Amino acid sequence: MMKSIRTAATLAFAAFAPAALAAPTHAILWKNPQCSCCEAYAAYMKAHGFDIALKPTNDLTQISAKAGVPADMEGCHTMFIDGYAFDGLVPADIVRKVLAERPQIAGVTLPGMPTGAPGMPGTKAGPLKIYAFTKDGRPPFVYAVE
Amino acid sequence: MGDFDIGAVTRRGFLASGVGATFAAGAPARAEGRSLQSLTLTAAASRAMLRGPGEPDTGLWTYDGVEPGPLIRLRQGRPARIEVNNGLPEETTVHWHGVRVPNAMDGVPGLTQPPIPPGGRFTYEFTPPDAGTFWYHSHDDGLVQIGRGLVGPLIVEEATAVAVDRDLPWMFGDWRLRADGELAAGFGNMMEDAMAGHVGGLVTLNGRAEAVQPVRAGERVRIRLINGALARMMALRFEGHRPLVVAFDGQPCEPFEPADGRLTLGPAMRIDVVLDMTGTTGRRYRVVDDFYDGLAYVAATLAYSPEVATSPARPREPVVLPPNPLPAPDLASAERRDIVIQGGMMGGGGMMGLGGMGGKATPGLGGGAVWAINGMSMTGDGAAGMAPLMTFKRGRSVVLTLKNRTAWWHPMHLHGHSFRVLTRNGVAVPHRQWQDTVLLAPRDAVECAFVADNPGDWMLHCHVMNHQVSGLMTVLRVA
Ligand SMILES: [Cu+2]
Repeated sequence: MMKSIRTAATLAFAAFAPAALAAPTHAILWKNPQCSCCEAYAAYMKAHGFDIALKPTNDLTQISAKAGVPADMEGCHTMFIDGYAFDGLVPADIVRKVLAERPQIAGVTLPGMPTGAPGMPGTKAGPLKIYAFTKDGRPPFVYAVE
Repeated sequence: MGDFDIGAVTRRGFLASGVGATFAAGAPARAEGRSLQSLTLTAAASRAMLRGPGEPDTGLWTYDGVEPGPLIRLRQGRPARIEVNNGLPEETTVHWHGVRVPNAMDGVPGLTQPPIPPGGRFTYEFTPPDAGTFWYHSHDDGLVQIGRGLVGPLIVEEATAVAVDRDLPWMFGDWRLRADGELAAGFGNMMEDAMAGHVGGLVTLNGRAEAVQPVRAGERVRIRLINGALARMMALRFEGHRPLVVAFDGQPCEPFEPADGRLTLGPAMRIDVVLDMTGTTGRRYRVVDDFYDGLAYVAATLAYSPEVATSPARPREPVVLPPNPLPAPDLASAERRDIVIQGGMMGGGGMMGLGGMGGKATPGLGGGAVWAINGMSMTGDGAAGMAPLMTFKRGRSVVLTLKNRTAWWHPMHLHGHSFRVLTRNGVAVPHRQWQDTVLLAPRDAVECAFVADNPGDWMLHCHVMNHQVSGLMTVLRVA
């Protein structure tokens, strides 16, 4: 049962995605061992065709700092795909957008854990602002609004 | 060995003179000393080989230049006088965690004493009423000062010696180091403060990573487990051994073997175990910490010498510690109050997922509040003029129900008193557990009883230091 739903979701997605992205996209997701929203987020990403390897760590701060995430804009986990860092509960279509456009950035972040974001319960209190960051000293800027 | 006595106080170099990661044998037999126990501690910058010889060392702040600080041994019921010199570039205080001291000696800046300025000194004088395993640490700028190493073990010896072959204080520390050995910058940020706090990646035992404890087959040891970490929880399992728990937070309990063999310690918590060395000569046994899912590691190793213990096998009577003079709360007449812990990430609603705070930060105490107690966030390390959340008449029996309405773990510490843990989530807590720091899992509710017999304004706070400084703190007054 689960399997057929999963296949259907993947097929539905593949119909709209560029051919190059049709295969599951591999991602490594570093999470706090006690944070349950990261698991919900991983399930959400899997449903959107990503192949997620979950890795618990107590040291997200160093991982995200090394990835270039500004210290005051951290999300609750850090995911790496294809050389880009995705910090926090970044919606799947924004991840796809980064991977398709391949901008000159280190990654994007959705700071904090806003309600209504993927993996979080509740409804959005307002638009989700996803920021891009670099490692060359440029200040972070809004990459997308959902 | 690097030990010397000041009065009845033994200052131990611990690992400093050990070979490799092996630490020195346990405490010597009870030191004889003068009736006044007098010593000096100096807080200052120093360096320590946390990773061991041949590895880069680490710049820390320590007491007397050793990490952890010198082992202080006091006698129960005898006055002690401890002069603290501040060689730090900022103010400091020392808190004698778990020792029921007079309020003015409790070491909370502003609330119980003026902080000790750089270059200044303060003399702490108290008579420890209870024998047991305690510890001391900075209570000023605690996130940074404990994070940089201002901690040490404190043992109050029983009036009559307990029948074990050796007494081994095991103080754990937790560090986040850079590749060059120095402490990683910063001890907190918004996410870390609102989640599990600053948990590091290198655990030390008595100041050394990958510690090895030499033991002999047939001996009986008392191990005093002390979690001196900033935020790390631990759940220790002694492979191949059956530890008998004899005390929590310095207070004797009814001895018992934990059903799952796990000894869970939040920051600031202590457990005394009696361990019979029933392993095989020449073998090594791991002590595994598997608190965090998927992140189990070896916290220590027991290494059996090739010889058996010199003392012949003898009947193994259970070790029972003498009781401490704790007043028994009268539950029938007790004043009952709720302490509700709120906030943090995934708390179940509100901006940024901060659960049910809706409270206000105490003005003037600074810092961003992400946690609250009963709707009120007191941030920082203590300050003058903090209004008490509750006032209890001196001598009154009190039952506090601590309710964790958050998605995170909190070791809650009450100053100036030990309390009996009555129930957890409605189920009676067995083995007569008295604690000064009780660990609450997410959504836990714990009932604690004590006699409010120690006058003064007392901190009640979480000992995940990130949580304390960002709002998980309050003050109870006994008057
Ligand atoms: Cu806490």
